[in-house]
Order: sequence, then C-alpha cells, then structure tokens
Amino acid sequence: MGRLAVTILLILSPLLAAEMNIYERNCVKCHENLPVSLDKFFFNYLLKYSSERRVKQALRNYLKHPRRKASLATEELVSRYGLMPKTTLSDEELRRAIDIYWEKYKVFGKIE
Amino acid sequence: MSVSNVTATGINRSERITLVRFIGLYSFLVLMILILGSTIYFKLQKDLMLQTKRLELEEYSKELIDGLKLLHIYFDRYRTYPRNPLYRSAIYDADHVQIFSTLKHPEGVQLEKVIYTTDGVIQYIHVLDSYYLGTKYTVVEIDDDRKWFTQAWRNILIYGGFLLVIFLGAGVMLMRLFLSPMRDAIHLLDRFIKDTTHELNTPVSAILSNIEMIDTQRLDPKTAKKIKRIEIGARTISTIYQDLTYLALNHKIVSEDTDVDLSALVKERVDYFRILAESKKIDIETDIQPGIKLHIDENKMARLVDNLLSNAIKYNRRGGDIFVRLRPGELVVEDSGIGMDERQIREVFKRYKRFDSGAGGFGIGLNIVAMIAREYDLKIEIDSQKGRGSEVTVKWDV
Repeated sequence: MGRLAVTILLILSPLLAAEMNIYERNCVKCHENLPVSLDKFFFNYLLKYSSERRVKQALRNYLKHPRRKASLATEELVSRYGLMPKTTLSDEELRRAIDIYWEKYKVFGKIE
Repeated sequence: MSVSNVTATGINRSERITLVRFIGLYSFLVLMILILGSTIYFKLQKDLMLQTKRLELEEYSKELIDGLKLLHIYFDRYRTYPRNPLYRSAIYDADHVQIFSTLKHPEGVQLEKVIYTTDGVIQYIHVLDSYYLGTKYTVVEIDDDRKWFTQAWRNILIYGGFLLVIFLGAGVMLMRLFLSPMRDAIHLLDRFIKDTTHELNTPVSAILSNIEMIDTQRLDPKTAKKIKRIEIGARTISTIYQDLTYLALNHKIVSEDTDVDLSALVKERVDYFRILAESKKIDIETDIQPGIKLHIDENKMARLVDNLLSNAIKYNRRGGDIFVRLRPGELVVEDSGIGMDERQIREVFKRYKRFDSGAGGFGIGLNIVAMIAREYDLKIEIDSQKGRGSEVTVKWDV
C-alpha cells in the first residue's frame, strides 16, 4: 500500500511541480520583491469582483491587457513600480496559473 | 278554495328553481368578491408585518456586514464567521453561489427579492456595494411567529362571514323584489280562472242536458248538423270547465279511491271525445283489453284520460289518426299530430305552456296530468318527433 502511494506521488510530482511552477515562476517570483503581497491583491479582487467567475475573468483581462484604469493597485504603488508588463503566457498557461492562485487564496471552505 | 294553494303547486316550484339558481349565481359572485377582498387584506397584513420586521432585520444585516468587513481585513489571522443568536445568516457571491450559511432554510433563499416569508421563517436580502470576502448578497433570517397569519385569518373569517350573511340577505330581498311582478301576474291569472270557473258550470250543464234531450232523428239534416256543432262546442267548454275546476279545487277535494274499471272508463271517454274528433275528421282507433282495473279516484283518472285525448285531438292534423291502447299497467295514446322536440318535451308539464297558440286552450292539460300522475305514482313517458306525432304512455305497477 505504502509502495503504491510512493509510486503515485513519484508519477504525479513532476506534474504538480510543473503546475506550481507556472504560478510561482510567473507570479510569485516578481511579487516577492513588491511591498504588496499577492494575497492582499486577491482580497482586493474579491472585494471588487465577488465571484470566482468574475474574479478570474478580471484577472485574465488585466494580465493580458494591463491598464492603469483596470489596476487595483494604489496610485502610489503604480507610480512607484509602474504597471506590470503584459503576460507572455499562453491562454492555457494563464488559465492554469489563475486557477492555482484562486485555489490558494479562495475563502470557500475556509470560514469557520 | 284557496288561490294560494292553487299557485303553490306550479308557481312555487318554478320560484324555487329560480331562487336556487339565483342564489347559486349570487353566492358565487359574492364569494368571488369576498375571496378577492380577503386576498388583498391578507397580502396587506403580510406586507405590514414584513415592513415592521424589516427595520429589525436591517439592523441585523448591518451588524453582519460589519463583521464581514473585519473578517475580510483580518482573514489571514481570523476566520470565524460573525454569528448572533438573534438571527441566522448566509452570504452569497455575485453568481448566487453560497459562500457560507447558518440558515435554517437555505433552499428557500430568493436573492432577487428584499424581504419575504418561506417555510416559517422571514428572510431579508441586502445587496452590498463592496464585496467583503466576495459577498454580494447577505441573507438574514429570523423565525416567523405566525401571529399575524392567525390574526389575519380570524379577521377574514369573522368579517367575511358577517359580510356574506349581509350580502345573502340583500340577495334574497332583491330576488323577492324582482319576482313580485311575476307572482302578481300569476295570482291574477289564477284568480281570473277561479272566478270564470264559477260562472261556467250552470250554463254549460244547461246546454248539454238540453241538447241530449233533443231527438236529432226527427230534425232535418241541416238543423241536426247545427245541433251537433253546438254539442261539440258545449263539450269542449265542459272539458275546459272540468280542468279548471280540478285546478281550482285540487287541494280541497279529498280523493275517493276505488277499484276503477279502467277499460270501461277509457272506452267511455273515447266515445265522449269521438264527436270532437269527428269535427276534425280524426279517426280514433282503440285496442282496449277488457277488465283492467286500477285503484284510483275515478274523477281524477277521467281528467287524466280526457286531457291526453283532448291534446291528441287538439294538436293533431285534420284527417289524422289517434290510437288508444290499454293493457295491464299501461295506457298509450298515440297521435299523428305536430309532435314535439326534446326541449318541448322537457317543458310540456309546465302550467300555461302551449306550443301552438292556434290550437286553443290554456296550457293546463298536461300540468293536470302530471299532478295526478305524481299523486298516484304513475309514470309518464313521452315519445315524440316533430312533424310525426306523439306517443304518451302512462304506466303503473300492476
């Protein structure tokens, strides 16, 4: 039984690592150096867009076409660090990265 | 002799039918109005209750939103949902997906409404401008104590019942008001018939008895023919007189039931009417089985037979036929006259109902037949076709 679990983990681990890498490599990496963390941005998106569908859609739109008007960052942050560059990820990669981001910070199932 | 009693048989029955129909229709309309009024009242009472509760629920909702705001800010450290024993609540996102709920009836939530009752609870929906934790809708729920419901129903039953009684009373008064001209007219007709009947007896009897005393054999043919015509006329008047007397005195005459020799009676009445039939060139054929008896008042049976024969002649065509058959338990009078359709057959026993005003009479004949039949449990069947003639069968238990 233990051997089977280890085998499955070994098979899945590159896949999991690859998934995480999309988000971590493309999102976390940059934001680590910024004073506002990704979780704060997530709650800003929730505050403005409410549902999973709308949050993901807004994120996707912004990452593909970053505009000052659509940014949820404060004026101060934008003027200091500028708008983030347009994403280089494909639509599918972007979708996966956003899904990981949603799963990491979503409130569903976390409220007690 | 009582006029009111006379009218009681026919008129009160039709009055009763009219009364029942009118009250039925009127009650239906009144009920519709009351149901409509009650529905409006019930809805108003419910709205009033909801408006009262809304203030309380708005306060709870504000408290919940404040709690959500704090939870949103400190979610990384603190994740306990804001609860209060005074109410239950739930939060939903912009796509109506439930984020969290402590509701008793989450399945009844209607986010497009503001305040409503469902399954014994009152739910209040508030739409947020800032979606704390993604919350667009907060639902606050309290138990509905149903006091307003009981009170509203009690008022509807008490006041509704009171109004129903008043409306029905007014309906009966209205109906009596509308019926009174008709009733007056019928009373007048009955009184006229009663008075006329009184004055007819003596002269008709005098004419008939004197005609019978005349020996027509010794008269010249022309005079004999004239005398015969006078006799036909007098007999017609006599039949009408008998009918009217029966109607006028119906409830005053005590029936003297005896074992009547029906064969002899029918034969005698056919012979009596033969002279009237001959005047219209109508041939009466008979098939009377001798010795048939029936326990009945002889005068009344004579009225019944007379009226069937009289109608068969009256509504027959010139040169037509009448066939009379008597068997145990059955008397059939068949004619080749104008006949009746189904609607006419249904109405034929009503008093003053005539289908051919040219045929004369008062339309009381079959009404008398029906009255006598009812008294002695005789069954009357009418088989008739328009233009072909009618067959009236009187049946009794042997």
